Amino acid sequence: MNRRDWLTILALAAIAVLGAGNASAQDKTIKIGALFPTSGPGSYFGAQDKQGVELALEELNKAGVNGYKFTVQYEDSACSPLPASQAAKRLLDQYKPDVIIGEECSDATLAIMPIIEQAKTPMINAGSSALKITDPGNPYTFRIMPNEVMQGVDIATNAYNKLNARTAVLLNENTNAGIGNAKVFKDTFEKLGGKVVAEIGFGRDVNDFTSIATRVAGVGKVDVIPTYTLEGQGLKITQALAQAGVVKGGGGAAIQLGTIWLPFGFEQKAGKAATGYVRIVQFDPTDQRDIVKNFVKNFKTKFNADPTHLNAHAYDQIMLIADVVKRGGKDAQSIRDTLAQTKSFVGVTGSVEFDKNNQNTKMDTIHYMETKPDLTWNALKWN
Amino acid sequence: MTATIVAQQAINGIVLGSLYVLVALGLTLIYGVLVQINFAHADFVTLGAFAAYFFMHTLGGSYLASVGAALIVGTVLGWAVNVAIFAPLRQKGSELLPLIATIGVSVMLQNAMLAWFGPVPYAFETPYSQRVFRVAGTFFTLQSVVIVVVSTGTIALLYAFMRFTFLGKALRAVAQDRETAGLMGINPNYLIMLTIVISSALAGMGGAMLAPVLVLTPFAGASVIVKAFAIVIIGGFGNVEGTIIAGLLVGLIESFTTQYLDPGWIDIVVFGLLLVMLAFRPTGLISERREENV
Amino acid sequence: MSDAAIVREASPWWRSRRAGFLIAALAIAMLPMVLTGSYWQTNLTVCAINVLLALGLDFILGYAGQLNLGQSAFYGLGAYVSTLLITKLGVPFWGAFVAGVAFAGLAGMILAMFAVRLRGHYLAIASLGFAVITYQILLNWISLTQGPLGIYGIAPPPPIAIPGLPAISFRNPVALFYLVAGFTLFAYFILDQLARSPIGETLTAIREDEVSAASLGINTAAWKVFAFGVGAAVGGAAGCFYAAFVGTLVPDAFFITESFTILSMVIVGGMGTLIGPVFGAILLTLLPEVLRGIGDLRLIVYGLALTLVVLFMPGGLAQAARIVGARLGLTR
Repeated sequence: MNRRDWLTILALAAIAVLGAGNASAQDKTIKIGALFPTSGPGSYFGAQDKQGVELALEELNKAGVNGYKFTVQYEDSACSPLPASQAAKRLLDQYKPDVIIGEECSDATLAIMPIIEQAKTPMINAGSSALKITDPGNPYTFRIMPNEVMQGVDIATNAYNKLNARTAVLLNENTNAGIGNAKVFKDTFEKLGGKVVAEIGFGRDVNDFTSIATRVAGVGKVDVIPTYTLEGQGLKITQALAQAGVVKGGGGAAIQLGTIWLPFGFEQKAGKAATGYVRIVQFDPTDQRDIVKNFVKNFKTKFNADPTHLNAHAYDQIMLIADVVKRGGKDAQSIRDTLAQTKSFVGVTGSVEFDKNNQNTKMDTIHYMETKPDLTWNALKWN
Repeated sequence: MTATIVAQQAINGIVLGSLYVLVALGLTLIYGVLVQINFAHADFVTLGAFAAYFFMHTLGGSYLASVGAALIVGTVLGWAVNVAIFAPLRQKGSELLPLIATIGVSVMLQNAMLAWFGPVPYAFETPYSQRVFRVAGTFFTLQSVVIVVVSTGTIALLYAFMRFTFLGKALRAVAQDRETAGLMGINPNYLIMLTIVISSALAGMGGAMLAPVLVLTPFAGASVIVKAFAIVIIGGFGNVEGTIIAGLLVGLIESFTTQYLDPGWIDIVVFGLLLVMLAFRPTGLISERREENV
Repeated sequence: MSDAAIVREASPWWRSRRAGFLIAALAIAMLPMVLTGSYWQTNLTVCAINVLLALGLDFILGYAGQLNLGQSAFYGLGAYVSTLLITKLGVPFWGAFVAGVAFAGLAGMILAMFAVRLRGHYLAIASLGFAVITYQILLNWISLTQGPLGIYGIAPPPPIAIPGLPAISFRNPVALFYLVAGFTLFAYFILDQLARSPIGETLTAIREDEVSAASLGINTAAWKVFAFGVGAAVGGAAGCFYAAFVGTLVPDAFFITESFTILSMVIVGGMGTLIGPVFGAILLTLLPEVLRGIGDLRLIVYGLALTLVVLFMPGGLAQAARIVGARLGLTR
C-alpha cells in the first residue's frame, strides 16, 4: 500500500468521525431536535423550515428566555417512514434533545411517533394533516396546525353556504394527505346536500394537466374544484383549468378551492389563471397584527424573500417552545406537561390551545383568501 | 360534447406524444448505433430545461435562443459521457456495464442539481405558453403548436440527414455492422461520438421545449424517462419511425386513459403494452427490416 | 491420495468454508454489543435486509447473467403479501412469511417465463416495466393495499418461547437483528451451496454464452426461470422482514429507484461472487449514515462511487480485495 492509499484511509476515517460526532451541549440550554426532509423530493419543505427556525433562534438567543439559550440539531428525515425513523433514533441517541419539531409528511410523522413516545421526548408537528396523528395520537405528540378534518369540514361547509356551491370536482395528489383531505371534503359536502361529480387522483410525477382539465371541462356544470396538491403541480393545474375555460381565471365559472400547501407568491407564477381562487392559508402575510408585521419585516431583511407558511410554521414551533420555557419548562418531561396546558399562545399563524389529544383547536389558524384580478389577496373573513 | 372531448384529448395526446418523441429519439439513436442505453438521458433533459430557464430568466435571452443554449448544454454533456464512459467501456466489450455506469451518472446529476438549484419548482413561462387558441370547441396554447412544429421539424431534419447525407448513411452503416463499416474507411469512433452528441443535443433541446410543461425540479426528467424507455422498446430499439409512432401512441394513451379511467392507470397501461410487445413482438412495432433500422 | 485431497490439505483450517461461516456467525453475534444504541442497532438490521436483497439480485445477475432491474417489485410483493395476510386474514407471522416468499418467487418465475426470449437490454427494460406496474398497483389498489394511506402498527415477529428461559421478544432491536441476520446467513449458505453445485456451473455457462449453452443441450429458459425464482424469493423474504421491522408500510419504499440502489450494492460489492454483495450492501447502507454530516452531497458521492467502480474496478470490492490480498501475500 502506498502513501495514496494511506491518505485515502485517513480521509475516510476523518469523514467517519465528522459524520458521527457532534457538538456537546452547554449548561442552561434547551436542545431542540429538528426532523425535516432535506433530501429527495420533500427537500422543498426542509429548506424553508430551516429558515423559519434560524430566524426564531436568532431573535430568541439575543436575550435568552429565563436564562436559557436554544440550540438546534437538524436531521434529514426524507419525508418517508424508514429514513425518518432512522433520523429520529440518531437524533435521540446522539443529541438527546429536550424537544423535537417535525416532520412534514404524514407518513414520516406517524412512523416517528412511537419512537419519540418511547424516548419520552415531546414533538411539535406543524405540517402533517393526517387525522391519526392526534386521533388517537399519543401523549408526546402535539400538532399546532388544523388537522384534515378541521380544514376539510370548514372549507366544505363554507363552500356550500358562502359560495352556494352544489357541485364539485375533487383533484388530489395520491398521497396520504391528498387522499385524506379529499375524502373529508367529499363526506362533508355530500352530507350537506352537495354532489361530487368527479374525483381525479394523480401521482406526484404527473406533469401535464391538460388532459385532466379537459376531463373536468367535460363533466358539465361545476361550482367548485377543491384541489389538494403541492405548489409545482398546483400551478400546472390552475393554468390548465384556465386554458380549458373551466375556472374564473379562464373565463369559466368554477372556483378553485385550495389549501395551505400553496405558498404566497403562487399567483405571481400562475398569472391571470389564478383569479377567483379561494383558499385556506395557514399564514396570512397581509395580517395587520404587529406580530405578523414584525415577522414579515425581519424575514425579508434576513432572507430577502417573502415568508411562506412553511417559514411561519417553523417560526411558530420555536416560539411556542420559548413560551413553554417561559412558563417553566426546562427538560423533556416538563416541556411536555407545560405544552399540554397551552391555552393562549399567539403565533404568526394563529393561536394555540391544545385539546386532550394535543390537537390545536383554535380556528383562527384557518384564514381564507380569494385571489383578486390584480393577483393580490382579498381576505374573506369567514373565521 | 363528446366529440369535442375526444378531439381535445386527441390534441392533448399528440402534443404530449411529440414531447415524448423528442426525448425518446435520442435514446433510440444511441441504441441503434452503440447498442447501449444512456440512463442519464433524462437528466440531460432536465439540465437542458434548467439551462433554458436561466438563459431566459436570468440572462434575459429570448425563448428561442434559450432553446439553442439548451442544445449546446446537451451537446457538451453527451460528449463528456462518451469520453468518460462509453468509449472506455467499449474497449472492454461489456454489454451491461455502461448502462450501470450511466445509472451512477444519473444519480450524481440529479443530486448535484438538487444541491445547486434547490427543490423548489421553477415556473418557466414563455411568451407562447399564455396564448390560448380556441377552435371549434377545442383549445390549445401557442406553446403546444411550437412543440409540435419543432418536433416534426426536428424529426424531418433527422430523417433527411439519415437518408440523404453521407454522414447519415455512414451512421446507418455503423449501426448495421461496425466492423465492415470500419473496413470501408468509416471511422466508427468518430461516428459514435457524433451520434451521442446529436442524441444529447436532442435531449437538451427536448428539455427546453418541455420546461414550460414540466414541473421544473431536478427530478423533472426522471418523471419522463421511464416512459421514454417504454416508447423506445415499443417502437423498436434503434428504429426512428417506430419511435415516432410509439411516442404519439403513448401520448394518446395518456390523454385517453385520463379521460376514461384515471391518471393512475397510465403507467399500468403503457407498461402493460410494453410487456405484451416484448412477449410477442420484441423487435417493435415496425417490422424487423434491418435496413430500416438506424 | 487424490489430487483434491492434497489441495485440501495444503489449505490452512481457517480458510475453509466452515470456518468462514463460523467467523461470520461470531461477527453477527458480537456486532450489537460493539455498536450500542437503538440507532446503530436498527442500522444493522437495515444492513441485513439490504444484504438479503443484494444476494437475491446477485444470484440472478452475477450468476445467471440476467440484468434484473425489478428487484424492488419482489421486495414490495413480499412485504405486502405477508402483511396483508397477517392483518386481513389473521395468518400467523411465519405462515405469512412463507407465503410472501413463495409469492415473490412465483412472480419472479412468471416474469422470467414471460421474458424468456429476451436478452440483455430488453430483459432489463422488461423487468423495469414489471417493477413500474407492481409499484402502480400497490399504490392505486387502495381498497386492498391502502396505497399511500399506509398500513400502520405492523407487529414484529411473535416472541419465541424457549422452555425454561424467558421468551425472546422481537421488539428488542438486538433480538430482531439476530433473527434477520441469522436468516441472511442461512440464505447465504443455501445460495453458496447452489453456486458451487452443478447448478451453479449451469448458470455460469448461461451467463457466459447463452447460445453455446443452449447448443450443449442446456434448457436455458428453464434455468433462467429458476434463477429468477430464487433471486425473487430471497428479495421477497427481505420484504417480509422489512414490514415487521419498520412497522409501517407505504408503497414509496418500493419505488423503482430502490432497484438501482440494490444494483449499486451488487456492483460495488462485486457481482458474480457471493461475498462481494454482502460487503457492497453493508458499505452502501452505512456510508450514507456515516456521511450524514455532509447532507445532500452524500447521494452525489453514492452515484460517483457507482460510476467509478464500473469504470475502474468492475469486479467491485471483491476484485479490490483480491488485489490487496495478492499484494499482501494472503492469496496465491
